Amino acid sequence: MRILLLSSLTIISFYDFGQPNCNVYKYNKNEPCYKGCILATQGEGPQGSRESQIKFDSAIKLCPNFDYAYREKSVPYLKRGDFVTWKKLIDKAVELDPMGNLGYRGWCRYQFVRDYKGAIADFETLDSMTEFEIGYSSNSDYQLNIAKALCYKAIGEKKKAIEIIEKQFSEKNYSPGLYDYFHLGVLKMEVGETELAINFLKKSISTNDYFAEPYYYLAMIYKKQNLTAAFQDNMKKAKAYYLKGYKRFDPYTQPMDKIFLADIEKELK
Amino acid sequence: MKQLLIYSLIAIVFNSCGQTQHSPTTYPEHVGDITYDAALDDKNFKICTNETNIPQYYNFGKGLQYKGEKIAIDKYFEKNFKGKSQKNETGLLTIRFIVNCEGKTGRFRIEGMDSNYQLKKFDEALENQILKLTKQMDGWIVGELQGQKLDYYQYLTFKLEGGQIIEIMP
Repeated sequence: MRILLLSSLTIISFYDFGQPNCNVYKYNKNEPCYKGCILATQGEGPQGSRESQIKFDSAIKLCPNFDYAYREKSVPYLKRGDFVTWKKLIDKAVELDPMGNLGYRGWCRYQFVRDYKGAIADFETLDSMTEFEIGYSSNSDYQLNIAKALCYKAIGEKKKAIEIIEKQFSEKNYSPGLYDYFHLGVLKMEVGETELAINFLKKSISTNDYFAEPYYYLAMIYKKQNLTAAFQDNMKKAKAYYLKGYKRFDPYTQPMDKIFLADIEKELK
Repeated sequence: MKQLLIYSLIAIVFNSCGQTQHSPTTYPEHVGDITYDAALDDKNFKICTNETNIPQYYNFGKGLQYKGEKIAIDKYFEKNFKGKSQKNETGLLTIRFIVNCEGKTGRFRIEGMDSNYQLKKFDEALENQILKLTKQMDGWIVGELQGQKLDYYQYLTFKLEGGQIIEIMP
């Protein structure tokens, strides 16, 4: 059981995308692309291995416009810090299918490269190409307009970040994601709108009570208001959650507004 | 037996296509592999895992593993990095290396990138200072799978603006 769990954990990190439907090429009687598609989807297992990279090259040779193969080939470079090679490959995927790849490239520029302005440009270009929903981050945590708001926050434009999140909340049929209220609460705190910050952080807890961070930021607000008991209560809860493993976590990078145990312990001293 | 099980597990993860024949190509065994270079590397740096199957830091499902977590790395560089204003020193500086089964580091490789995702050579003194500080970090946590201590690949990327570190990834 333990082995199964560890294997699953490791393999999960290798699979980020759904596979394309190769039968589309078969249906369209495009035999080279059908073969290329089959090859590329076989290449997904040992991500970054020589065999895998060669298979993507073979798939591209058979089907030069097959953006999926370029995108998949790019992933190990991104995850291993070779952003120069990653960008060349992902740019080719975007060139071949902007609608299908701009959102993904933008998200990676935000998550891995911290290229906030580049990410914003990708999200905005994608938005200008469609009247519809622009999609979600590849880890499913954020609708891409929320990710765009986080990029604006990272470059210091916090009011613009708030506007974007609030606009997204007002969209018909939008259900806020797991961390939307949390980030909005932190932003409100940072711009000094304390009561709204408390409301959104509490709303975050009521909708997703599985991470320590909202308690930490609530505690920090109460500390500023000299509400010692509320500060202690929330900070201790943040610590208990953190120690239980209830915290913002990503296997590759550090999520925005994440806190660390040292942050909590410093406040409880 | 336990050891055999762990190596099998790693082999399955890295070779799940069942490919055993390697075509001659310019690709390394795995993207990002760092092979020993006598001119650059400490010959005494110990590698415990099979060289062709060294996992990446994210393969353990624990994220970046450092004593005191990522914030300890940020604080270490805040305290020790002595930056000076250098207008043209903007971009990303990535240092990739191996954390071995004893938590020691080696086989450092460095690559600079400008804001347009093109290779960039940073000021040598700046590069050397960041590399030296990275080599002196002593809080790396040993990677473990099923109780077996393993080596792993790690990287640190420094986002530089005008010669100052403004962010460290991952």
